[in-house]
Formats: sequence, structure tokens, C-alpha cells
Amino acid sequence: MAKKLKQIAIYGKGGIGKSTTTSNISAALSKMGYKVMQFGCDPKSDSTNTLRKGEYIPTVLDTLREKGSVKANEVIFEGFNGIYCVEAGGPAPGVGCAGRGIITAVQLFRQQKVFEDLDLDFIIYDVLGDVVCGGFAMPIREGIAEHVFTVSSSDFMSVYAANNLFKGIQKYSNSGGALLGGIIANSINHQYSKDIIDDFAAQTKTQVVEYVPRSVTVTQCELQGKTTIEGAPDSEQAKIYTRLAEKIAAHEVSHTPSPLSTTDLRQWASKWSKQILAAESRSIAGAC
Amino acid sequence: MSKVIEQPRYSCALGAEQTVVAIRRAVPVLHSGPGCCNKITSLIGQGEAYAGGSTIPCTNSNERDVVFGGVDKLRSVVKGALQVIDADLYVILTGCTASIVGDDIDSVAQEFRSAGKPVVCAETGGFKTNNYRSHETVVNAVIDQYVDAHRAEGGVQKGLVNVFATVPYQDPYWNGNLAELKRVLDGIGLKANILFGQESGGLPEWKNIPNAEFNIVASSWVGLGIAEHLKKKYGTPYLHFPYLPVGGLETSRFLRQVAEFGKLDKKRAEDFIGREERKFYSFLERMADFLLEFRYGLPRRFYTILDASYAVGFAKYLVNELGILPARQFVVDNTPEEFRDEVRGEFAHLSDRRSAPVEFETDGGVIQQKIREDENKTRALILGSGWDRDLAKDLNADLLILSVPVEYRLVLNCGYAGYNGGLRVIEDLYDRVLGTYR
Repeated sequence: MAKKLKQIAIYGKGGIGKSTTTSNISAALSKMGYKVMQFGCDPKSDSTNTLRKGEYIPTVLDTLREKGSVKANEVIFEGFNGIYCVEAGGPAPGVGCAGRGIITAVQLFRQQKVFEDLDLDFIIYDVLGDVVCGGFAMPIREGIAEHVFTVSSSDFMSVYAANNLFKGIQKYSNSGGALLGGIIANSINHQYSKDIIDDFAAQTKTQVVEYVPRSVTVTQCELQGKTTIEGAPDSEQAKIYTRLAEKIAAHEVSHTPSPLSTTDLRQWASKWSKQILAAESRSIAGAC
Repeated sequence: MSKVIEQPRYSCALGAEQTVVAIRRAVPVLHSGPGCCNKITSLIGQGEAYAGGSTIPCTNSNERDVVFGGVDKLRSVVKGALQVIDADLYVILTGCTASIVGDDIDSVAQEFRSAGKPVVCAETGGFKTNNYRSHETVVNAVIDQYVDAHRAEGGVQKGLVNVFATVPYQDPYWNGNLAELKRVLDGIGLKANILFGQESGGLPEWKNIPNAEFNIVASSWVGLGIAEHLKKKYGTPYLHFPYLPVGGLETSRFLRQVAEFGKLDKKRAEDFIGREERKFYSFLERMADFLLEFRYGLPRRFYTILDASYAVGFAKYLVNELGILPARQFVVDNTPEEFRDEVRGEFAHLSDRRSAPVEFETDGGVIQQKIREDENKTRALILGSGWDRDLAKDLNADLLILSVPVEYRLVLNCGYAGYNGGLRVIEDLYDRVLGTYR
């Protein structure tokens, strides 16, 4: 009996650490013995760099542009521990339609039935998370990914992007779209950051899957073109990523989130901003 | 919730390709998907002219052009068009896909212009608006990007006027109408730039647009956007005559307004008007015996399914000079809200004694249904399009095809504007009626 392929999409605001997190999850799952493909859905095309010693790989769309047609195996490259790496790619900044590019790349793979042939356990889509247009919602609709996780810090803009993603998930939830597995809280080094993200999860009726602190180990490994799992396997940070990967591997049931309305989100952010300001004023007064 | 419209009598914004086709030695270059052009010309085109219809250069955008942008392909298609089509002006027009993706067509057109090539561009993505509006967009684009840089020398010329009266091909009789308007305006002492068609002077005439003493908009609302643009750009004043002048009374009224606005030699204008009226009515006098005997054979009332300019122009002519009374009047050009009161006002004062309510409706199916539900006790005339043939047949009505799609007529130089156009209306009307006799 064929094993069940688990398709996961990881969204996050640009620069929030989504590719770092995704690559470490892929690396950890791979070390756990799973066959993994990481599919970068960001026109920057650098999702899989740390799985391939910092190297960029030819993207699906670049290949399509140059050759007119693409065979999937021309754009699949093996990375750390045999992880299959794919980058959708996109147009040059400021031209064309990146969203349509992602649709084109994902559809091309589906049409060629690559996923079945490779006998994969996991496909992890690493998607630019602002969900600015229908193209970036591609992995969460039409039954591609089943579970969505969002990487978010406690920064308001990051939470705003996560809330937008939740709106997208909610929209497609009635038509067989992916549901939300939870939030991967990133760069959580202070109690208030944890409190903010916990509160956001409670407000939107979801869960925090893992708290990942900011760590210089991650930076050191990335400068060597490696994930933390590869570069510092015994570090505390690697243990956190491994624990996260185990949770994702064990995750079975996702839910429809309850995103906040724009007004509610602003009020929510304003409430937190006042609390942080008050706390900082107290600490400054105390220091004097 | 979007609504399905049956048989709209106009095209999407890309329909302005026909505006370019109507300029002598001008070529549209479409940056659109394959097929757009054919769909448009099958609705609002008859004849490919110089480089229209299926001969229009087109990028035939596909998925790759969407993902990566289609600017490179557009550049190569324009380059090819410059090599294989001998023309004086090339007008890049975007279809839906290129407009959604946001291809920077301005920079492409600019590149060619910098190299001395006459290339201009306009955004005409089909979703943006209809071809009435985009006609104005395209004309203004040609003025801004071509005419302005090639303005004819000599400055403002006394008696030179630009005429904005019809949307070429959307008005199937545009060529004939413009030729007649030129004839009568020249007759009262003006030199009329009509800009489109065989009677126009082509691009040299366009280069003279800024030198006009004043502009004339002979249309309900289309063309006002151009006249306003020219007023701002060159300070050219304009006269707005809010319908197509058809027949003796209205053409004379039109010419008198123009003469007064332009402070023309009154005697010269009146001499011309007098000559034309005598000629116009002499044909009717000659046929007076027949017309009188046959008066009960004519339709008693008319339904209108036309754009605002034609609707008002024909209603005034039929009521005041032919004695046919208005039944339901439908204006189908999606008249912008701000111009509707003026159109209602014209219908409210068709003559001293006659008025007619007017309905603004773009759905041909709804209009036909309403006409079918009318009493229809007496013989009716339908002023509509080829799509109304079955309706006319079912109601035993006479159909005069004045609107697109024409389908069942070949149009060469026929026009219905002016004195000659008025006579043509009578000929064609009697032709339809007499054709039903055994």
C-alpha cells in the first residue's frame, strides 16, 4: 500500500525567518528518515540555499523561460541528506506576475505526477506569506497542501501578514483548501513576545506549535551555507527545530482559523503597544 | 454579484483598435491575447481596411508573457510591424492580460519614439471600460504622444476646426457621416478636420489639431473628453452639439450654432444653408404626390435601440420631418450618469408638442422583451442592429439597421448625418416598407 504523502505549506512575512525555519524542518525530517521535497515559492528563489551549501539552483520558471518547456527532473536538485530542492522562481522584480508564476510552477509539477514518482513522505512549500494575490494562495487551495503553518514573530507587521493568511485559509476552507496547523513563533526571546503571540493565537483560535528563539548559531550556520541541523546538530537550536519537525510529522488535524477584522487587529495591536510602552516606562523609571 | 448582459451593442475597451484603423495609414499593434481582435472586428468592423481585422499585428500573449511580463515580445512585434507594414503611425494597445500584469508599454513606445519611429501607446485593457470611453483615451494618447511633437507650423488658423462626431466602426456609418459633416461645415466657410476616413487628410490633418480655432463635438457625450483635453492643452474652445444632426431642420440648426459660436460670416453661412435646404426639400417636393398617397403605408411609431447620439438625432428627424411618433426609446451606449439628464431633456423636447421617455439599458435581451410586451397594434419601425432582425420579423415591423452589429448590410460610404443623410433615411425607410409589398 502506498504511503500517504503529507503536503505542508509554510507561510510567513518576507524576512521573518520562514526559509530558515522551513529548511531546518526539512533537514530534521530528513534526518528522521523521511523523504522530503522542499518547494520554494518565493520569486527571490533562495528558499533552499542552506540545504545546498549556499548555492542557488535553476528555477522552474527560469528554465521554462529559456527552454519553452520543462521536465520536472530538470529542476529538482538534491540537497542535504537527499532532500529534493525545487525553486519556483519568478519574473524580474517589477515586471510580470509572480503570483501567476507560482501557479504555473506548481501546476507543472502536478501535471507531471512527480510527487508520486519520487515516493515522497513530505512536500514542504515555503511561500512568501503576504498572500497579496491569488497566486500566492495557490498552495492552500485546490487541495495541494493539507496543513498550513505560519512563521511569525511578535512584530505587528508579521502578525498582520499571518492574519491575512488566516483570511485566505478561511476563504478556501469550504472548498477543500488547506487548514491551519498553527503558528511557529519565531525570534521569541522575551516573555512579552511570547505573550503577544500566545494572545494572537488565542484570539484567532489557533495554537502555537513551537517557540523558536533568535540564535546566533543559526546565523553562523547560514553563513556557511548550512541549516542548523546540518551545521550545529548538537546545539540547543537544532534540538528546538527537531522538536518542531517531530510535532509537524505527528500533526494530523488542522482547523479553520478565525482571523481578526482589520479594525479588531488594530485595536488588538494598540492594546499591546500601550502595555509594552507602560512596561518600558516603568523599567526606565526604575533604572533612574 | 455580476450580471450577464445579453447582446451588448458595443465592445470592450480594446475596441478602440477600430479608432486607429480608421486613421489613414495608421496601424494598431495589439498587446493582447490571440482572438481579441477577431472578436472585436466581428462585432464592430466591416472590412479590414489598411491593416485591421485579422491583419493587425498582435503579441498573442500567452502564459509566459503573463509570468515574466510581455514587454520583450511587444518590442519584437512592434519592430516587426515597423519592418513589414508601411504606415505613418503605430499605436500600441493593451488587452486585459497585459493591463492586469502591468506591462510598461509606455517605455516601449518611448524607446521607439527616441529612435525616431512614430509609435504611441494607450492602455485599453478590456476590463477597464468600453470602446466609447477608450476611443477618447486613444485619440488623446495620439495627441499627447504624436501630434504634440509634430505640430504643424503656423499656429492657430482662422476657420480651422476639429470635428469629434462619431466613434469609427462603432458607428457603422462613420465614414459617410463624417464626410457629410465636413461638406456642410466647409460649406459655411470652415475648414473641417474630420481626422478619420477617406475624406480626412490623414496624419497631416492630425498634426494640425492644435492649430484649430475651435473644436466641434457633435455627439451626446463621446468626444467631450477629447475636446476638454484640447481645451486644457492648447486652450482651444469647443462647441457641443449634443446629437447627430439628421435632415433639414437639425442640420440647419447645427450649422447656425456653429456659425454663431465661430462668429462666421453670417451671410455666407445663411446662403449655404438656404441652398442646401432648397435642395433637400426639392427632392421631397418632387415626390410629394407619392409621399402623400403613401402616408398610411408608413410605420406609425418607432422603437429606438441606439446610442445616445443616434437616438436623439433620429428621434428629432422622424418626429419633426417625417411625422412618425416615438414608441419606447432605449439608449444602449451605457451613457455615463452625468450626461443622462441632458439626453432625457432632448427626448422631453423632441418638438413643441412631442416628448418621449427614454430608458438607458445595455441589455439587448431585456430591451427586446420589453418591446415584445408592448401593445404593437400598429405598424412599427425599429431602429436597431442586425440582432433585432428576428424581433422585427416576429412583430411584422420594419427594421432599419443603424447600430452594430450590422450583419445584414454592406456599408461603403452610406451616412445618415446632415442633409444628404436625411434623404438617405427616407430612401432606406421607404425601401424597407416597399420591400414588404407583393
